[in-house]
Amino acid sequence: MIKITDLEKFYRTEEVETIALNKLSMEVRKGEFVAIMGPSGCGKSTLLNILGMLDDPDAGSYIFNDTEVAHFNERKRADLRKHNIGFVFQSFNLIDELTVFENVELPLIYTGVAASERVKRVEAVLDKMQIMHRRNHYPQQLSGGQQQRVAIARAVVNNPKLILADEPTGNLDSSNGNEVMELLTDLNEQGTTIIMVTHSEHDARYSHRIIRLLDGHTVMENIMI
Amino acid sequence: MFKNYLKTAFRSLKRNKGFTAINILGLALGLTACLLIVLYVVNELSFDRYNTKADRIYRVNEDLKLGNNSVQYAVCMPPLAQTLKTDFPEVENAVRLKNAYSIHVKKGSENILEYRVAFADPSLFDVFTLPMINGNASTALKEPNSIVITETTALKYFNSTNVVGKSLVINDQGGFKVTGVIKDVPKTSHFNFDFFISMSSFPDSKSDKWLRSDYNTYVLFRKGADPKKLEAQFPAFLRKYSAGEMQSDMKMSIDDFEKGGSYFRMNLIPLTDIHLHSNISGELGANSSAQYIYIFSAIALFILLIACVNFMNLSTARSANRAREVGVRKVLGSSRGNLVIQFLAESNMITLVSTIIALFATYALLPAFNQLAGKEISIGLGTFAWLLPASLLIILIVGFMAGSYPALFLSGFQPVNVLKGKLSAGFKGGNLRNFLVVFQFSISIFLIIGTLVIYNQLNYIQSKNLGYNRNQVLVIKNAYELNTHSQTFKQEVKQLPGVSDATLSGYLPTGQARNTSIFYKEAGTTDQKNAIFPQTWSIDEDYIKTLGMKMIAGREFSTSMATDSSALIINETAARFLGMSNPVGKLLYQSVDGNHEHVKAYQIVGVVKDFHFNSLHENIAPVIMRFNYDNGNVSVRVNSSNLPALVNQIKSKWSSLTSAHFEYSFMDQDFEATYRSEQRIGQIFIVFTSLAILIACLGLFGLAAYAAEQRTKEIGIRKVLGASVSVIVGLLTKDFLKLILVAIVISTPLAWYFMHKWLQDFAYRVNIHWYTVAIAAVTAMLIAFITISFQSIKAALTNPVKSLKNE
Ligand SMILES: Nc1ncnc2c1ncn2[C@@H]1O[C@H](COP(=O)(O)OP(=O)(O)O)[C@@H](O)[C@H]1O
Ligand SMILES: [Mg+2]
Repeated sequence: MIKITDLEKFYRTEEVETIALNKLSMEVRKGEFVAIMGPSGCGKSTLLNILGMLDDPDAGSYIFNDTEVAHFNERKRADLRKHNIGFVFQSFNLIDELTVFENVELPLIYTGVAASERVKRVEAVLDKMQIMHRRNHYPQQLSGGQQQRVAIARAVVNNPKLILADEPTGNLDSSNGNEVMELLTDLNEQGTTIIMVTHSEHDARYSHRIIRLLDGHTVMENIMI
Repeated sequence: MFKNYLKTAFRSLKRNKGFTAINILGLALGLTACLLIVLYVVNELSFDRYNTKADRIYRVNEDLKLGNNSVQYAVCMPPLAQTLKTDFPEVENAVRLKNAYSIHVKKGSENILEYRVAFADPSLFDVFTLPMINGNASTALKEPNSIVITETTALKYFNSTNVVGKSLVINDQGGFKVTGVIKDVPKTSHFNFDFFISMSSFPDSKSDKWLRSDYNTYVLFRKGADPKKLEAQFPAFLRKYSAGEMQSDMKMSIDDFEKGGSYFRMNLIPLTDIHLHSNISGELGANSSAQYIYIFSAIALFILLIACVNFMNLSTARSANRAREVGVRKVLGSSRGNLVIQFLAESNMITLVSTIIALFATYALLPAFNQLAGKEISIGLGTFAWLLPASLLIILIVGFMAGSYPALFLSGFQPVNVLKGKLSAGFKGGNLRNFLVVFQFSISIFLIIGTLVIYNQLNYIQSKNLGYNRNQVLVIKNAYELNTHSQTFKQEVKQLPGVSDATLSGYLPTGQARNTSIFYKEAGTTDQKNAIFPQTWSIDEDYIKTLGMKMIAGREFSTSMATDSSALIINETAARFLGMSNPVGKLLYQSVDGNHEHVKAYQIVGVVKDFHFNSLHENIAPVIMRFNYDNGNVSVRVNSSNLPALVNQIKSKWSSLTSAHFEYSFMDQDFEATYRSEQRIGQIFIVFTSLAILIACLGLFGLAAYAAEQRTKEIGIRKVLGASVSVIVGLLTKDFLKLILVAIVISTPLAWYFMHKWLQDFAYRVNIHWYTVAIAAVTAMLIAFITISFQSIKAALTNPVKSLKNE
């Protein structure tokens, strides 16, 4: 599903040039659950952003579903993204002005799903995440764990083939964190490919494979199963 | 999708109540000011357009240059209208109006003084659109002693509009027959009369003289006729009709006349230009000036710009809080276009609400504005016909103008950047914001300086030494009612305790009576090099001292000098025009009854210090005073602590001599009246300038609030580390004050330049002093400082524990 080869990403700030990704190559197959680990600043988020097509690489190749996307422009990337990829962030990134229901509905609006169909799908996914009873609440009225469940609901409502999660449990206590990990595992078992950045060895154990990064380069891969 | 935009926009606005309130309030305030000015401007531009034939109606003006003087008249020769009509086929019709100034109309036993009276030719209703309610428009003004009155007047005198055939007693003479009742003359007419008396009632109107000008003459062209072509024929036309008279009366040919550099011309002014572009001798009413239309339109635009800038500034400042939302939406698949629409929906929503508020506010404030502007603007169905589409246009334009920058700016955020938690990127776009703040305050300071200069100039007019003393002078307006008793009256009034002097003359510096005539420096010549064409006033022996004028040479008139019937007092300007450094004792000559064979010699016995009798827009003109009887007014210099009692005493003297109504005013009030329109303009200017500054401050207030909010954490840390409140206030205030300083540097030269130009329009004017500019600068600084420090102090006083936990 994903194959990157010799991916490079630099950040230039005035005099300093940071190499965030250094000739990184890796592959993720359909249906896999991959955890990415490494010390802070080693390029994990950068990698995830490129995989999610929020950012483009400076060099190297990125093949997504047999299509070379490294050189795609912003519009094409956005199009590919909204149909195929769901995101979960450490800080949830829900929109404060919208209710739970409306937050989850948003990706469907952007992909042009009809209103009646939207209601059905949002309700289904809220049910699945067990936050149906909170559908008319605003994000601030929810606990962290509930907010992250809404965020996951939002990530999956479009039935994406790939979910990218950047430290999804980073802002949660361990019981809420475990709940989130269970949800991701369920999704994976239903066929969704998941790539997750994490600092926690405990969370990483939910995955099939751990990719360890150091200074923008793969140092080790552990197969979990 | 669109519903979602509106929903999000609405919620976002609701969540940021302070921001929304400032935006809506500022914009509503700006729009209200703008709308009021637009109504004013539209009203000014609509003058005389009520006439369905307005585009074909022109007034004939006259240009006269004689020796050193040139004068422009709105009035022409008595036979002109009829002659134009017969001589030129393209002239469909012509009509003359003559201001009758005032008449007494009897109602029951009371004689009411009416000022809005004119003589008019029968063709009046063919040319102007003055719909007749009762009576026959084509014959109403034919017969002598016919009178057409307005609806209001009919109701006032008869309690009915069905009064054709009834009669009115005018100036105690019966036999005036009402032949028509018309709708009131629209307020937007350059003339405003309640009574139109048939021209045939006024024998002078049959005069065939071509060398005098006293009839306002309007021409109605046939459809498709070119007024320029008629104008081109005027010189030959004038030559044809006036040559004979010039030869017989002035003993010279037109060629000789023109050789001396003099001329005598006619030109046409479109009816619809009169109100804003004509201010010459013999106007039928006080006209306005296009200049003020430009100034007000500019102010309206400025105010709108300031309000829009507020909007842009606050929106971009808020981008810090919106950045994450933009990022999330983009991650979820929103295109940039979607976001632009969303933000525009938001700004248009604010504009819509503001416009609705502004419409109501305009409606509510209109009476007060009318009072201020001396107008009678009303919002009717006709107003809505253009007001609603215009409002819609305003909503869209302002909504887009105010919303487009934040829309483009915010929608351009890269999701990777904003989601990384780099939310402080929100105070980005600071350069543009700085520019906009400078722009706003440049306009505000410009307006402050403008207001100060206008205020100074008006003050100067009020307090200027006019060359006479207008205080404590009671003017009896209709002294002519006394007929032969006027001298007796004057003498009796002079005897009253509390009266220090009294004079009998209609020619007053604050009055309307004016007369010009020609004097020559040599007898028996008609050379214009020797001529002077001054104001020629008839005064009595008490005039100079009653009005507090100063003689700078020679003496005043005296009853004990038998020769004073041929004596003259001239003003300094006349002496200068005559080129006489020592005029007393010199002779001037004047033809008797316009006949150059008969010349009368006058001797100059005194020179009076120049005094102002026209508007201060104009230079003082030459004045020559004759010792002659004129009973237009009696002016009484009073000197009493009990004015009402004294007025009553004067009134009882009056009543013992005449049954006429006692009409009086005080000279200083008459003077104020001359400058009322200028004062109004000044007041309007001050009001709207204050509004502009208020709106700008509102924006600054909001901006300061955001700056403080952005830096809450920084302020908290600084306080923990030991910074004092004043240090923090300084930190937050400094940046803004720097911007105001830049605005001062930009706006002061511009303001100086434009106000200097404005002042050029006054012959007598103040200078723009450095301290005027300094006051404006300090005021702006102070206002800005107070506005900003309110927020800064609030931020600085916040407990740091609170602001740090806030993260
Ligand atoms: N926008 C940026 N500008 C400059 N340097 C950046 C930027 N984003 C990330 N970096 C640098 O790139 C490296 C990788 O960052 P990141 O991918 O965020 O690390 P992490 O593994 O902690 O998620 C770091 O050294 C970081 O400082
Ligand atoms: Mg990271």
